[in-house]
Amino acid sequence: MTVNNTIAHQRLVLSGDRERFRELLRRRLIECGWRDQVRMLCREAVKENENSNVTFDMLVTKVTPRARALVPDTVKKELLQKIKTYLLTQKDQ
Amino acid sequence: MKMNTISSELSMHDLNNKFFEIMQNENNAEEAANFIYDSVCDDVTLGFIFEFHHGLKTGLTDLIEGEKEEEEPYKIVSTPECDVFGFSIMKKTPDSNCSCPNCERPVSATRFAPHLEKCMGMGRNSSRIASRRIASNSREPTSYAGLLSDDEDDVDWSGGSVQNERRKRRIKNNNNRKSNKLHKNNNGTQNSDANDGGATYETMTANEKKNLLLQICGVVSEHTKKLCTRSTRCPQHTEEQRRALRNSVLEPSTPESQTMGLTAEEAGSPPDSSPSSSCSSSSRKRDRHRAPPKTKNKRERNISPNIRD
Repeated sequence: MTVNNTIAHQRLVLSGDRERFRELLRRRLIECGWRDQVRMLCREAVKENENSNVTFDMLVTKVTPRARALVPDTVKKELLQKIKTYLLTQKDQ
Repeated sequence: MKMNTISSELSMHDLNNKFFEIMQNENNAEEAANFIYDSVCDDVTLGFIFEFHHGLKTGLTDLIEGEKEEEEPYKIVSTPECDVFGFSIMKKTPDSNCSCPNCERPVSATRFAPHLEKCMGMGRNSSRIASRRIASNSREPTSYAGLLSDDEDDVDWSGGSVQNERRKRRIKNNNNRKSNKLHKNNNGTQNSDANDGGATYETMTANEKKNLLLQICGVVSEHTKKLCTRSTRCPQHTEEQRRALRNSVLEPSTPESQTMGLTAEEAGSPPDSSPSSSCSSSSRKRDRHRAPPKTKNKRERNISPNIRD
């Protein structure tokens, strides 16, 4: 199963369409204000460990799970739908 | 390295084949979509966190966001008696009012200067009045006219002394030079009195009346009982009024009055009025005379063809 996924992913990367989807998702997340929410999460994380030096890894481990949950359902659905239709239309060629 | 690139080239073909193979199954496609979405989402999240971390470390975030303002002094006040800044809406307290030093009345600060002007006589007009008052007070302190009224005429009629006369002339020079110009040829005190607008025709001689009426309109006003001192063509009074007045005033004296009235009439009425009117009336008459025959002819012409037909 994971092999199948990596094959599909690999093919998407090679065709350059992964970049396209990434850009689309980025734009959608900025539009819906998700980026600002993530920024607030980051600031909170920084405030929490004000004493210790803030590292990037620490930020990632603290923020990423919450950020994922914050992604709006509509955006997620749209992306999934687009990727799926893309994958399915590829086989016809 | 060489082996790797070769193998990847080889696998490119395999990859395509395998990919199409996998995509035959829709469940596989769905799963792959989820997987790809996750990886893409992680990418984007990482990108944003990178951005933030970069801003944090280089101090860019602080620069962009700036220092936080203290909110306390800028809060909107919502109490009923104050505006949003917390200042009282109520009218200014009475201590912002000044009391007039002259009349002791409380005056608002904004109206204080105009009030002083009126009350103490500091303005242009009031200073004129005030100086007149002072002058009359100093010269004849017992005279009621100087004390009570600003009216020049009253002052004039209050006393006949030479001093009074001079003062009156001076005031007249200031106030109405126009009328003075009109009556330059009039000599003697009596005449200047008569021209003053407060005079009546009863006190004048026939000659004076004549001179006066040659220069001014002279119609007696109903309200003030004074003479109109404007020119003989003043627009306020009609030619009719002037003529009536001249007739009534000059009638009893001499045949001069007749000529006076006539000259006034000729001067006042537009010169072309009577001839033009006569002309027009005569022309109309001519038209009337001409008109009937034409119509007659037409009728005849109209009728005649009908008869022929």
